[in-house]
Amino acid sequence: MKVIGKQVRKVDGFELVTGRAKFAGDYQFPGMVYGAVKRAGVPAGRITGIDIEGARNTPGVIDVLTARDIPGPNLIGVLPPYDQPLLAADEIRYAGESVVLIIAETAEIARFAANLVSVSIDPYDPILTVDDALAPDARKIHEGGNITLSKKLLKGKGKAALEKADVVVEGVYETSFQDHAYLEPETVCAVPGRRITLYASCQSPFHIRGHVAANLNVPAASVIVVQAVTGGSFGGKDDVATEIGSLACIAAQRLNRPVLIAHERKESIIGSNLRHAARISSKTGAMNDGRIIAREITVLLDGGAYASESPFVTMKTLIHAAGPYNIENVEVTSTSVFTNKTYCGAFRGFGVPQVTFASESQIDELADKLGMDRLEIRRINGLKAGDSNPTGQVYAQSVGLQETIQVIAAQPAPPAHPDGGRYLYGTGYASVAQGISNGAEGIDVAGASVQMSQDGSVLVGIGLTELGQGSRTVWAQIVAEVLGVAIENVSVRLVDTDAVHDSGPTVASRSTTVGGMAVLKAANEVKKSLISMAALMMQTDEENIELRDGFAILKMDDSARIPVSSVATAAYWTGFPLMNLAFSKAPEANFDDDTHQGDIYIAYNYGTHRMDVQVDAMTGKVKVLNHFAAHDVGRVINPLGLAGQIEGASLIGFGMAHMERINYAGGIIQNANFADYALPSIKDRIPTNSIPVEDHNPTGPFGAKGAGEPPVAAAAAVFANAISDAVQFRFTKLPITREDILNAIQQRGNHG
Amino acid sequence: MLIRFTCNGKAVQLEAQPEARVIDVLRDELGLTGTKEGCGRGECGACTILLDGKPVNSCLLLAGKIADREITTIEGIAGKDGALHPIQEAFLDKGAVQCGFCTPGMILSTKALLDENSAPELAEIEEALSGNLCRCTGYGKIVEGVLEASERLRQGSHHRGDVS
Amino acid sequence: MRYLKPSSVSEAASLLESSQGMILAGGTDMCVYMAEGFCSPETLIDLTGIDALRGIQINRDDHEAGTMIIGACTTIAEIAASEELPTCLRQGAQAVGSPQIRNLGTIGGNVCNASPCGDTLAPLLTLDAQFVLRSAGGTRTIASENFFTGPKKTVRKPNEILESIELPIASCGKVSAFRMIGNRNGQAISQVNASVCLAIADGRMSDVRVAVGSVAPIPLRLVELERFLTGKDIQGMSLTELREPVLEAIRPINDVRSSAKYRQEVTVALVFDALADCAGQYSRVGEGASTC
Ligand SMILES: Cc1cc2nc3c(=O)[nH]c(=O)nc-3n(C[C@H](O)[C@H](O)[C@H](O)COP(=O)(O)OP(=O)(O)OC[C@H]3O[C@@H](n4cnc5c(N)ncnc54)[C@H](O)[C@@H]3O)c2cc1C
Ligand code: FES
Ligand code: FES
Repeated sequence: MKVIGKQVRKVDGFELVTGRAKFAGDYQFPGMVYGAVKRAGVPAGRITGIDIEGARNTPGVIDVLTARDIPGPNLIGVLPPYDQPLLAADEIRYAGESVVLIIAETAEIARFAANLVSVSIDPYDPILTVDDALAPDARKIHEGGNITLSKKLLKGKGKAALEKADVVVEGVYETSFQDHAYLEPETVCAVPGRRITLYASCQSPFHIRGHVAANLNVPAASVIVVQAVTGGSFGGKDDVATEIGSLACIAAQRLNRPVLIAHERKESIIGSNLRHAARISSKTGAMNDGRIIAREITVLLDGGAYASESPFVTMKTLIHAAGPYNIENVEVTSTSVFTNKTYCGAFRGFGVPQVTFASESQIDELADKLGMDRLEIRRINGLKAGDSNPTGQVYAQSVGLQETIQVIAAQPAPPAHPDGGRYLYGTGYASVAQGISNGAEGIDVAGASVQMSQDGSVLVGIGLTELGQGSRTVWAQIVAEVLGVAIENVSVRLVDTDAVHDSGPTVASRSTTVGGMAVLKAANEVKKSLISMAALMMQTDEENIELRDGFAILKMDDSARIPVSSVATAAYWTGFPLMNLAFSKAPEANFDDDTHQGDIYIAYNYGTHRMDVQVDAMTGKVKVLNHFAAHDVGRVINPLGLAGQIEGASLIGFGMAHMERINYAGGIIQNANFADYALPSIKDRIPTNSIPVEDHNPTGPFGAKGAGEPPVAAAAAVFANAISDAVQFRFTKLPITREDILNAIQQRGNHG
Repeated sequence: MLIRFTCNGKAVQLEAQPEARVIDVLRDELGLTGTKEGCGRGECGACTILLDGKPVNSCLLLAGKIADREITTIEGIAGKDGALHPIQEAFLDKGAVQCGFCTPGMILSTKALLDENSAPELAEIEEALSGNLCRCTGYGKIVEGVLEASERLRQGSHHRGDVS
Repeated sequence: MRYLKPSSVSEAASLLESSQGMILAGGTDMCVYMAEGFCSPETLIDLTGIDALRGIQINRDDHEAGTMIIGACTTIAEIAASEELPTCLRQGAQAVGSPQIRNLGTIGGNVCNASPCGDTLAPLLTLDAQFVLRSAGGTRTIASENFFTGPKKTVRKPNEILESIELPIASCGKVSAFRMIGNRNGQAISQVNASVCLAIADGRMSDVRVAVGSVAPIPLRLVELERFLTGKDIQGMSLTELREPVLEAIRPINDVRSSAKYRQEVTVALVFDALADCAGQYSRVGEGASTC
């Protein structure tokens, strides 16, 4: 391999280090105006009046829009029937809900005028907990009730088998909401025209196009969505991008002027989706030899005010709740619930971090009860090729969990520390599996085009988005490898709905796999043309030709070579196609809807982490001394990118486990800024040592599997286990803050 | 008010409200959109520029304060021939850039550090970059990028690293 | 909005008198307040064009007495880097925000902003700092201990400019240390901070000052604790014996940043650590350790 597996620079890095990359807020057009919204400010109620006079009379204000001004259905969402208005018309379901859109000559004026709007709301008692939402006489937040989706998974005899267990451990675990906190707040810029163009910081341009078209009441093909360079997304720039994207387009068409809407940081926290808070009740039964025979798990997700991705997150938690283990009997119920809080949706990990924290905590508790080594219990129960996972799916290969456990076991042991001093020391382990592809969430298709120019350079187009994760680099590597050209000669175009094929959402760690397969197929077709042409030119058979180092080369005589540019030029004039549009479709999920038994994902990424921590018993301050993160990624395509993904995802997991919490009071978020919502700074970083394990995956390009998400779950879980080990106290709620740690130490001290 | 200052080595004179934020002057008046706004409250560092060589938050800096002073933005650090600055090269080679939104600010904070201290220790790097948040990288590769840049600057070699 | 940039203190004082404007120093607090709409002054009077307000000066009358004078517009970064200043103040300055914030923000701004969590306030209290206020009508000097009256409230009148901060040279001759804890390690707002300044002779503490921030509406001197520590051996302090005198003196609140209980517990720990830092400095430098 020339390029695959090699350390390469990010193909789109030059623009980013020079400040030339155009993010959505960097677009400037003549006559551009700016939008800002007035938000509800109360978590629940009915709008009784809206006074826009003050705003309308503010100098510089150009237009004021309410729900009545939306040409289309005024709805967005992920799964039909859609439930979320662009601008609330009557009912208010969360405090961050947009009610009025102001368009003004500057963003400052728009914001100032938004403050002058007064929305009269007849308040309801807000429903702020899942228990209140599920109470039999609870007010219905949506017509259909307060349950978004509830699903069951049943393998073997389910919970009934717990009776046969020698030991059963039982617990309830909770996690908090988490904000994506990408550095670039959500931003869109709409340019009017017969065909409107939207430049958006976003994750899924085709999803936006559909909603923009529907809400403008025009055909989808008349809308052009261009993904601007996007400053991070992690799942978060989907719903909200459709919301402000639709609003900007509607205003732009009304005024015939370009409209830019950029969220402030506060809006990014209160007005766009968060990671679901979860409560997970769990029982695990095992035999004295450590074999787990049954798990019963109930997952309750607080989904906030709108459905968003909740149904899919529900499914994901259902499937992943029992962990990467070979267990005969599993019963899971997973339910997501509406409350009057900011809606929850996709966030890197997609439900798996929450259930993995619960599962891995309980595995430790089980090991302790059995008096077994905590890594050994994972080894005994961990999945192997040929085992049946919790959905009953059996993979013949690429189940690298055991190898990740071995690699972790082989790491140097943490140094022993004397007992009794100011500092407490602990070590934790956690294993994870995370499904790759849309799986049970829907059909998974990606389309990609590969096009060679006569000079031998290549342009790749695909409908999946680069969000910083390095997908463009991976696709460029695949093409460079197949066509034997230097990676510098491969460009990956930005996503423009006019120019690339709808490839579904950029989610579920599917860019490398499903996206990469499409790129691989298209590149192989172009390769065929080049080989055919070269064979004609060299008057030999096609199998004697290989593409390498920018040449078509005769295999038996290296010196017989033609530059690929000459071959491409000849192919062009001969009429051999130099462009191909290929599709890859993941094998469809095939499972029983009542029990969720069957084949769901094209593959899983498996991982095992170890973390060593030092805890200051006087302040609760934690220092992470070591963090080893082993993941089975099938095949490493770009080591630099992979390590970056594992390190970045791990710190998000660490933030979730230790530092980040959305504080609500009466349904209003109290810490909607980066001073009080503490995402980790460089001084909080953890020394992640990423260790790739390669267990070839037949469903990915060159054997690769996605890797962007699973470390979040494993890092969160391993932190909880390491801290619990250090403090000798089982923490059951994330985040485990310094304060929680100090409390636990003191409680433990008081009770002997 | 007519404000005179030096921006990326060039003398600039422009009519601006003295109470306008420098980030807006740079982006809207001078078209220097490499300076990013992530919070507008001094909390993220995406808007970092150098003021007389020192890193500051341009979202908290009013235009009236930059009169007769010298500003450096991300657009101003490449070589005259357009060649990347060794810090930019090192960031690319070490994978210090993911989404890139924090990158201009990170690079400028790094430049201020290395201009003062050509061989910083790990703790000094962390201190110097503690006002620049990054959500993508986990910071490890950024630290590697800074170390690499410091090495290259000291050797005066601007070559690209061991990249295939 | 009018923006004025006077070049002398007297000009600033008369502008302030006539315009009833608001003072702008580094702007790291003011710009946030304006962006949030907490204040929208009609006139801003920017003090950073006044050279006389910047820098550190030592006025020694003889070898024992005298004062160190810090211009109000000296940046927090300059404070942190100044080798002449006492350790606790430098450590407190170093704990403010980020390098970017410290390059803009001023010590005068930190003092006049009077946030209970301001990181230079407890150090200034322990150094017996005096604040010199200047108005068109003249100057007056207020002891740091009497300056703060509540969260973001001080005895400063709207027409007064904080001109300088004076530290008795005697305080600068003592050993001192500052500690803080926040919700993260980098760029954190203090949940609690603590400063300790004392003299040591034969290992025993005297002339002890302890102050803490973020645990009461104003930065607080812990006089009982000071008394308790006086005469004790600096090397032998234990966490347990500090608990009671510390906890008796502070009235922390629950807020979005942390709970009252946590604040209490870590206050004890931070005072302990600051004392340990002093002990360390003492044993390194030996008797008469001085940081000036
Ligand atoms: C992201 C961020 C993080 C921060 N972190 C910290 C932290 O960790 N610790 C901390 O203590 N602070 C922190 N701060 C607050 C702030 O940076 C400090 O309080 C700083 O010292 C204020 O100084 P300034 O010169 O910027 O004040 P300005 O914003 O200019 O002024 C602050 C107030 O003081 C008044 N004022 C200023 N100078 C004078 C004067 N000479 N005479 C009379 N009145 C005056 C102003 O009118 C205003 O009311 C942080 C701020 C931000 C934005
Ligand atoms: S935008 Fe200035 S610090 Fe965030
Ligand atoms: S690279 Fe995305 S925030 Fe740093």
